[in-house]
Amino acid sequence: MAAAEGTVESTAEPAEHAGLPQMDVGTFPSQVFWLAITFGLLFFVLWRKTLPMIAGAIGARREQIEGDLGTAETLRKDAAGALAGYESALASARKGAVQLANDNRKGIQTEIDQMKAAADATAQASAAEAERRIAAERAKAVVGVRAAASSAAADIVERLLGMPVSADEADRAVAAVETKGA
Amino acid sequence: MEQFEVRPLLPLHIGGLDLSFTNASLWMCIVTAVCAIFLTMAASPRKLVPTRMQSITELSYMFVSDMIRSAAGTEGLKFFPFVFTLFMFVLFSNVIGLFPLIHPFTVTSHIIVTFALAFFVFLMVIVVGLARHGLHFFSLFAPKVPVVMLLVLVPIEVVSFLSRPISLAVRLFANMLAGHTMLYVFGTFVIGLATAGGALSVISIMPFLAIVAVVALEFLIAFLQAYVFAILTCIYLNDALNLHGHH
Repeated sequence: MAAAEGTVESTAEPAEHAGLPQMDVGTFPSQVFWLAITFGLLFFVLWRKTLPMIAGAIGARREQIEGDLGTAETLRKDAAGALAGYESALASARKGAVQLANDNRKGIQTEIDQMKAAADATAQASAAEAERRIAAERAKAVVGVRAAASSAAADIVERLLGMPVSADEADRAVAAVETKGA
Repeated sequence: MEQFEVRPLLPLHIGGLDLSFTNASLWMCIVTAVCAIFLTMAASPRKLVPTRMQSITELSYMFVSDMIRSAAGTEGLKFFPFVFTLFMFVLFSNVIGLFPLIHPFTVTSHIIVTFALAFFVFLMVIVVGLARHGLHFFSLFAPKVPVVMLLVLVPIEVVSFLSRPISLAVRLFANMLAGHTMLYVFGTFVIGLATAGGALSVISIMPFLAIVAVVALEFLIAFLQAYVFAILTCIYLNDALNLHGHH
């Protein structure tokens, strides 16, 4: 039989074979040989080309995600820092404004006080001057009135009694009336 | 069983060995080409937001790497390209073999193919184990039990270790063979009943519906057996890497 040769050709006459074609030992060398070649080839292609490609895509995605998360974290910290800076700047500006307003108020107050004091002094000075002048006028007037009263009294006495009265006597009399009247 | 027959397409004899390029070789090439081209094309967009096809490659990448990590630990990832290739080769062989109309040849329905893969895994486990642990590797056969028990356990461990490539090979081969045989048998029922005429022709719908259900089941088995082959490889590699270590 052809099977005795152990060749693949023996399967060309399947009718001659009992049992499964899988048990035809003659095909074994060819099967193993071509399996080694094809499996080896597939292994080489997957190992060198396809798997690094897939691993690269997975790795790139992981890196991208981690990188993005890192960037987000950095940006978040930056934002928090900026907020803190803004708040401290705001607080110091507010403090400065309050300080400035207080200083201004104090300055204005002192100016007002000074001006008020100056005005008071001026007013007091002119009031004193006026009083002094009033007093002088009054004194002058009192003298004038007394003199007029003396001369009037002397004239009245002269007319009534027909005798002259000296100015001194008239004055004394007026002074006496004055003190009595007072 | 015509679908399992190996026919030479290009005769090739080297050193007394018949290495002819057969229909089986052709389908191995088809499996390799489809697998490599599909995965490479699908992975090539390398978008940040993956396309649908890219998602398939990334999901299978994560699936296999998680499988290795859970069965053989992080160190097992050194064998990731091999395990991935093994998984994909078996998966594509199984699935391509199920497509109707193109008269596929199921590469993994041949015991010599599954045995060659399983034996390669077996040899790799021994080589890696010896390279890593030296003769201490053989402590794999001696679990930590009382000495008297070893008399019984060591032979059992040795036999179970040696039978690994056989069980690995036969499991995949038998599943593929049984599935295709079942489809073939139901197919002959359909033809037989339909051509019998009368009431029998009407009954032929039943094996036909059974075929539909079995095809669905076979797609599940195609994936499942590829997964089982790959995860058992990982478990065996775990022995070589960590001896009795558990992960």
